[in-house]
Amino acid sequence: MKILLIEDEPELRKSIKQYLHQEGYLVESAADFIKASEKAFDYDYSCILIDITLPKGNGLDIVRQLKQRNSKAGIIIISAKNSSDDKITGLDLGADDYLAKPFDLAELNSRIKALIRRRNFDGNKAIVINEITIVPEERAVTVNNQPVILTAREYDLLLFFITNKSRVVSKNAIAEHLWGDESDQMDSHDFIYVHLRNLRKKLSDKGCVDYIQTIYGIGYSFKAS
Amino acid sequence: MRLINKTILYYLLISFPLLIIAGFFSYFLIKGELQDGVDESLAKERLNAIHLINSFSRPQSVNASFDSLSGIKLAKNEKAGEVFSDTSIYDTAEQEFVPYRVLKSYYRSNSNNYLITIAKASFEQEELMEGLLSAFVLIIAFLVAAFFIVNWLISKALWKPFHKTLSELGTYDIRKHDYHKFESVNTAEFNELNIALSKMTEKIHSDFLQQKEFTENASHEMQTPLAIAKANLSLLMQSSNLKEEEMDQLQTIENTLKKLSALNKSLILLTKIENNQFHKKAAIDLKEITVKALENYSDLIQAKNLKIETGFSAGFTIEMNPVLADVLISNLLQNAIRHNKAGGVIQVSSAPNTFSISNSGEPLTIHEEELFVRFKKNDASKDSLGLGLSIVKTIISHYNHTIAYSYTDGKHTFTITHP
Repeated sequence: MKILLIEDEPELRKSIKQYLHQEGYLVESAADFIKASEKAFDYDYSCILIDITLPKGNGLDIVRQLKQRNSKAGIIIISAKNSSDDKITGLDLGADDYLAKPFDLAELNSRIKALIRRRNFDGNKAIVINEITIVPEERAVTVNNQPVILTAREYDLLLFFITNKSRVVSKNAIAEHLWGDESDQMDSHDFIYVHLRNLRKKLSDKGCVDYIQTIYGIGYSFKAS
Repeated sequence: MRLINKTILYYLLISFPLLIIAGFFSYFLIKGELQDGVDESLAKERLNAIHLINSFSRPQSVNASFDSLSGIKLAKNEKAGEVFSDTSIYDTAEQEFVPYRVLKSYYRSNSNNYLITIAKASFEQEELMEGLLSAFVLIIAFLVAAFFIVNWLISKALWKPFHKTLSELGTYDIRKHDYHKFESVNTAEFNELNIALSKMTEKIHSDFLQQKEFTENASHEMQTPLAIAKANLSLLMQSSNLKEEEMDQLQTIENTLKKLSALNKSLILLTKIENNQFHKKAAIDLKEITVKALENYSDLIQAKNLKIETGFSAGFTIEMNPVLADVLISNLLQNAIRHNKAGGVIQVSSAPNTFSISNSGEPLTIHEEELFVRFKKNDASKDSLGLGLSIVKTIISHYNHTIAYSYTDGKHTFTITHP
């Protein structure tokens, strides 16, 4: 699966590229507006990540160009300007998602996966990990073919873990994923633990292996072969 | 008090005693003059009487017909000289006492002594006196009135440019600076004032723009380096051979980065509100927003085992930006959750004119006035940024509403009221 990353900051480009590469994506990148619009025209990507402020042009114009030629690529805007105007303009132009800098790479990964899933590129609507099956369209989870009733937060937490499978996910990244901007004001991660405990219990009640490992000091990791 | 009223008051204070003194002076002056006139005519009458006495063939007394006083009498004693005096006689016709001026003088003729008494009713003089005095008072009153009216009119005309400048200053908004506001006028002092004000406001405005641009740029420029640091930290966390100590350090770095980016976001938000960048407005019912937010925070509320008590008698509506309304309520609620004690209570009440959120908790360790000041925070909550309530205050003030804080019965209460 190919992803085009349009970002002018070399260091950020490098680390995003590295993270997504580890996720198994083929990542192409462009550092300015001209190169970006060339690449966006030349190839078909599953997903294009676009920074708004670019040398030699505005990222929103690339969104316009892509929409004009009916590109099927999913578009995620990544911007340093967390402005509702930019967000609305971007989404109105046809971008699928908007992520404000600074973001967590795990969050970016989960947005890309959610987008690709929605566009159904791999033709398979369910996510299956050993005994766990998730149907994102219905927000339904089954373990060993028995339905598991999860709260909205527990479901989001499980999906976030599975999306970032085998990755170390920090508590801050989880808080940001579950509560968004509101997590800025939270000074404790106790409530993550409460949701996690409930999730673990509901899964193990149906005979699920505990895949969620606690990583000392940092957070958690969903480890499944 | 207006300058013009003050000037007039001072004029009055000074002119009253002066006018009274002048009135007294003229009263006695006129009175003296009139009396001199009467006395002269009495002296003249006396000469007539002397003529009459000299023409007497035998000594006799004569009574004047016109009043009961005047007359020539034979006197026994032998005095000389003349005495003027004032008296009054009851006039039976008029049925009142009438003032008289009386001249008594002794005259010796042909070895007979005569007392000549000449009386003259002085009511004419009194009336003349009264007439003169009332004319005088009228003229003075007219002059004073005319003086004040003219003064008032002149003052009004003279100070007109000043009042114009004042009203322009009153409506001056640094965000909508207008360079042509303080026009030149033909009074030198006011012109200088306007020139000075124009210069001053231009300077303030350009400083304001620079400041605004700086805050905006600085905050935005900070986002990318933060993003780079955060991204690299995520990559580093994936490393499989980290020691516990290193993981602790990573955690500390991550928490610090989170705080830094939260701080930055809050500052950008504050700047945006102050720069008037949230244009969209709608009638927002804070009650509805609160109900949604309470639902959203239910896990946080449960984690602290807090009790929610709501008293919604009616909605509380503000014409404001929907995004800012969410920020406002979430900041207030987060404040109420954060500074609550375990098992405490949060009370939210809404009425057409007041909206309040209160929470149980320890009393403040800082001054109440410092509560809404940026970066001022209660020691107990070291992890907080110290910007939440300052954002609340900025939003409330932006829409010309007021928010008040109080602490009673172990409860902190924030009350929002319409202007």
